[in-house]
Amino acid sequence: MSLFLEPSLLDVQMVLEEVWTSFLGVEEPLLPRTPGDITVGWSAAVTVSGEWHGMVSVELPTHVAEDVTRRMLGLVDGLDVAADEDVADAVGELVNMIGGNVKSLMPGPSVLSLPVVAAGRVARPSDVVEVCRLDASWAGSPLVVSVHVQAKAA
Amino acid sequence: MHALIIDDSRAMRSILRRIVTDLGFDTLEAADGQEALDHLHAGRVPTLCLIDWNMPVMDGYTFITNVRANPAWRDITLMMVTTESEHGQIVRALAAGAHEYVIKPFTPDAIAEKLELLGLVAKAVPV
Amino acid sequence: MTISRLSFTFVSDLVRRETAMLYDPGKEYLVEARLLPLAREAGCTDVDAYVVTLQSDAGERAKVLDALTINETSWFRDNTPYQAFTEAMLPAMIAARAHTRHLSIWSAACSSGQEAYSLAMLLDQHLPSGWTAQILATDVSPKMLARVDAGRYSQVEMNRGLPATSLVTYFARAGSEWEVCDDLKRMVRTQHLNLSMPFGPLPRFDIVFIRNVLIYFDLDMKRDILRRVRQVISPDGFMLLGSAETTLDLDDHWDHEAHGRVQLHRPTGPAAFTTTFQPTALTGA
Repeated sequence: MSLFLEPSLLDVQMVLEEVWTSFLGVEEPLLPRTPGDITVGWSAAVTVSGEWHGMVSVELPTHVAEDVTRRMLGLVDGLDVAADEDVADAVGELVNMIGGNVKSLMPGPSVLSLPVVAAGRVARPSDVVEVCRLDASWAGSPLVVSVHVQAKAA
Repeated sequence: MHALIIDDSRAMRSILRRIVTDLGFDTLEAADGQEALDHLHAGRVPTLCLIDWNMPVMDGYTFITNVRANPAWRDITLMMVTTESEHGQIVRALAAGAHEYVIKPFTPDAIAEKLELLGLVAKAVPV
Repeated sequence: MTISRLSFTFVSDLVRRETAMLYDPGKEYLVEARLLPLAREAGCTDVDAYVVTLQSDAGERAKVLDALTINETSWFRDNTPYQAFTEAMLPAMIAARAHTRHLSIWSAACSSGQEAYSLAMLLDQHLPSGWTAQILATDVSPKMLARVDAGRYSQVEMNRGLPATSLVTYFARAGSEWEVCDDLKRMVRTQHLNLSMPFGPLPRFDIVFIRNVLIYFDLDMKRDILRRVRQVISPDGFMLLGSAETTLDLDDHWDHEAHGRVQLHRPTGPAAFTTTFQPTALTGA
């Protein structure tokens, strides 16, 4: 019964790499990283509901979130400071793109929520379990993309 | 030529603004479908709309059906630029009147090539 | 574990020489990240050991070039050649092949296959019913040929110049990728072929797309390739080169017809082919 309940790690990795190389440049590639705890500065999540139900999250250290924001807004590194509301906006768009593409990996049709963004960790419902987790490193810093589904479904 | 960029993310509007400005468009922006319709009602009718799907207040699909319901706006070229990438969603958007569809993530070349297909941007390099 | 300076220099020189792409110092980690999977596949303990094998193994060198070359191919690349295909070449060939109702097309140096499948989409839309067509897609890279056979493309590749209506008509989702439909796949056949070597047996082609590849060869080889293309193209066929490429000054065995800004090349003279005679190709001339 686990068929189609979770996206494959390889597909999620492909989604993440495409988002990354398209908007954040090919010169700093995402590299795989040994799973481990990270100090979460910013995180964001979208939920998918319909034929498939799940939650896609991204967690980033503060300086990675700020760097992502500067690159997306076209700000100059070391000169322009990314304001908190800009960081929230950019991290939200990041999870929107990853989540929308993860949704397309699963049986549809389903509806994608607007992103929820938090300084720190986004709260998850207590009845969800992690079914897919991708640890990556970008320019030496860690980031995590994860997919959660309801415990009774898993 | 004016392009109206409709996306709830400032970062995404910024990315799209830089791309279409380089292609010779002046830009207007809106954070949701309703704000975009307000531009049109106020007489700011662009050549091209770049439209996100999921937005607060009014989503991009509803915006397209509104634009297509008004004959005065039939010359506007509508291009979805969205992370919605299910086969059925793309079919729905095209049936509602979208002319083209770009899936996020995209590269600047992808936007330029789609606008070439639509005849809005001339090929820069002679063939 | 990091790549040595010597290995990095060898690899960046190789890539610059073969593709003109630059990997400057500072990109060591990137080269290592791309080559590590190849090194493991080849049974080497690290990237340095793998780079040593490159000096004597052309097959592994080709894999390295594949891994370090960003594929920039788009659908309907440059647009106008495909307009010329639909508006000029196809009508002429449909008129000339009314007796066989079959077209034979060559996509030479096909890379990941966007050209071959773009042509297949146009044939699906414009070929009269009852007609068949075969597109032969050839490339020097076995990895690229495997991609064409699989017919699977990433989201980012799908955005590149493919009309949305064609996307929904001819492709289905396959995980994070999209896969071309069986009808188009049946039209496209792949074959390994190195343009700089004798071609071996090939069918007679009505239309040859050989775009943006002659630029990689020296003048003598360009002439030799064009001479050999002439042996496998129908006397009334069409050849299309890349926008920066021309047969002028290269070979006086080709006529030039302009379609808009696109130059179409057609063989001149009676003795275009001598080696692989096929009687059906004669009657349309």
